[in-house]
Amino acid sequence: MALLEMASVTKQFGGLTAVSNVSFSVGEREIVSMIGPNGAGKTTAFNCITGLYPVTSGRVLFDGTRVDGQPPHRILRFGIARTFQNIRLFSYMTATDNVMVGAHWWMKERVWDGAFKTPRGRREERDIEQMALELLDALGLGDRAGSYARELPYGLQRRLEIARALATRPRLLLLDEPAAGLNPQEKNELMALIARMRDEGLTIFLIEHDMSVVMGISDRIIVLDHGEKIAEGPPAEVRENKRVIEAYLGSGASQEARTA
Amino acid sequence: MTDLAVRSPVALLRRVTQPARSMGRRVEGRSVYLILTLTAAGLVLLGWFLPWFVGPFTAGTGFSPQDVVSSAPTGFATVLVYVMGASALIVVLSPLAELVARLRKMTLGVRVDQVRAIAGAAGLVAAVLVYVLVGVIREEPAFGVLSSTTITNSAVWLTMYGFGVALFAYGAKGLVLTRPNLAFAIAALPFGALLPLMFHQAPDFLLWAASSLAIYTLLALGLNVVVGFAGLLDLGYAAFFAIGAYACASLSSPIHGIHLPLWVLIFLGAAIAAIFGALLGAPTLRLRGDYLAIVTLGFGEIIPDLATNNVFNLTGGPNGLPGIDQPKIGPVDFGTSPQWYYWSIVAVTLISVLLLRNLQRARVGRAWVALREDEVAAAATGINTTTTKLLAFAIGASVSGLAGAFYGSMLTAISPDAFQFQVSIAVLSIIVLGGIGNITGVILGSFVLTFVIFWALPHAHEWSATFAHNFNVSAVGNINFPQYTYIIYGAALILMMLLRPGGLLPSRARRIELQTGVESESLAAVQGRA
Repeated sequence: MALLEMASVTKQFGGLTAVSNVSFSVGEREIVSMIGPNGAGKTTAFNCITGLYPVTSGRVLFDGTRVDGQPPHRILRFGIARTFQNIRLFSYMTATDNVMVGAHWWMKERVWDGAFKTPRGRREERDIEQMALELLDALGLGDRAGSYARELPYGLQRRLEIARALATRPRLLLLDEPAAGLNPQEKNELMALIARMRDEGLTIFLIEHDMSVVMGISDRIIVLDHGEKIAEGPPAEVRENKRVIEAYLGSGASQEARTA
Repeated sequence: MTDLAVRSPVALLRRVTQPARSMGRRVEGRSVYLILTLTAAGLVLLGWFLPWFVGPFTAGTGFSPQDVVSSAPTGFATVLVYVMGASALIVVLSPLAELVARLRKMTLGVRVDQVRAIAGAAGLVAAVLVYVLVGVIREEPAFGVLSSTTITNSAVWLTMYGFGVALFAYGAKGLVLTRPNLAFAIAALPFGALLPLMFHQAPDFLLWAASSLAIYTLLALGLNVVVGFAGLLDLGYAAFFAIGAYACASLSSPIHGIHLPLWVLIFLGAAIAAIFGALLGAPTLRLRGDYLAIVTLGFGEIIPDLATNNVFNLTGGPNGLPGIDQPKIGPVDFGTSPQWYYWSIVAVTLISVLLLRNLQRARVGRAWVALREDEVAAAATGINTTTTKLLAFAIGASVSGLAGAFYGSMLTAISPDAFQFQVSIAVLSIIVLGGIGNITGVILGSFVLTFVIFWALPHAHEWSATFAHNFNVSAVGNINFPQYTYIIYGAALILMMLLRPGGLLPSRARRIELQTGVESESLAAVQGRA
């Protein structure tokens, strides 16, 4: 059964339809990419899934449960974590603290545990910090644990955002252009990381412009254009799709491709 | 560390006066060091000029170490006072030397530190000896004419304490540089605990001043949770102070015939203020920045107005509530002994500092900072922004409820005047001046600003009059200080923000932020709800 299902989702801003009647699903332990030209509605779709935007019509189902209309923090607790296109870390918190915020919702520590430093609270703080450090280590940020997020180089900030998302114990990870701004070597590391996360049981749904990444790791690709889904399928199939080529290169392109 | 045992004390002193090796936290440590030494210089000065400070209030003659000299020109104590004087000069001038050196981008060598440490030690020993002569032996020839021994006591105590802080700052330089908060606590705690003893039988106003200082510290700590940690600009914080004070006053006065003890009122006041904090916080949840500030400003105006209009016949109108109980614990009557107020407020403040510091480093503290940094990301990381904001408002307000409980019983009467907009602004200035988001900085800020607002500015006129009288400079005495109070205050704040935009002790985040800048948007705005 599909883990994430979008059923005829539409999102309008005033008169502008950013996402129009889009339906698709993401299966468990799949790596699915969403591509499309700028302004196609990809990030809007992400925001609809994570509750940052309320959908205008349609339904979003996660593991059979309807999640649209819920506030973002509640949707995260179903097991949907995300990263942002323009990195949104907590700039003036250390890398460790950023990851520890990810553990916020499932920690048992109450306010009085924190205020009075109860043994329970202290034990949990220690465990969570340990968890955060291990996660940072696993993502190659081990030696920058004490740096403010703001002080990290761009590539590490992207990784830290993934670490924070992982700390929320997600089942589905939404990555919004994770390869943007990375150099070729970092891109390869990212692809390896995504594959590793999938192997450990996560489902990955990503927006990406970099075709080498998309084609290299995706099981399936969904293509949006002007808010509508224009194609869906395995990479090889999408690459040949006429409407996709038109969307990217203009309507004349597919004709030229055929005649050439 | 084993080799320490066999070393001579001089070698030990040399060892602790070595420049600290930790270069990483140098900036923060340097300013802490400077502040500690300035404090020491201030205390020494305050001790010597105490008669000027208290003169206008006591209507009698005060005596400071100089008076020891003038009253006993040949005594042994005179020699000691000259030693104190010489070392005081070194202690008082060394922070200035430090400032000058920093402006010229030089560093003063270890030798200078040693000189200062020796001066501090010599002054401390001399002060202790003078105190023994004055207070314990009462050596007749030296002190025959002294009429006000308590002020002499206070002056020598303060001098002694100033030398103590100086010795500590120069001696334990490593500690001051690496653990500034601990160093502050070590230097400030004995002073705080000894203050009532220094001024025992002395004018009560000193203790009242110290207690209202503690109240402002509590208020600043509470507001720091809302503004500093959670980043919610609250311009109406005095409203919660008012609610706490009125609630406690109603429950411990003849008005409703309810007389609850102070220690119950503390918790009740905190709880009631917390509930109102959450209630008033609820409508502002979607707002941020300027909009939030305007709405809270409204609350800050509404609450004193409600009190003035005697709403529900609970608040006594413009006259407020009179006849609030003086608390009693067993044989101790708080009403007649301000030092009990003082010690209980200091205890409550200390406990609040500890609890707030723990909260800052715990799950909820992280959530507050996350909210401050990026509300949208915080929500997308599983933080319930609604409850987290309400919690910040509630906890911030509850601290002001504590302050309100003490405030009413200290003054025995409260009126709406005490909770006007200026109070909110004063508290906000305290945390901005001290270093927003940094608990140590906020405490320091409350010390500096309460002294300026409630002591220096109102009394500048009397001090200048004393100065003019003593030195026969009538021009100084004719300056009309009350007229310029707010100009001086405003100019001092502007100057402060220009020189140290992050506050006296900026938090690490604030220091970096000042070099870069921030942008923020609310979750509601992203969702299209606001």
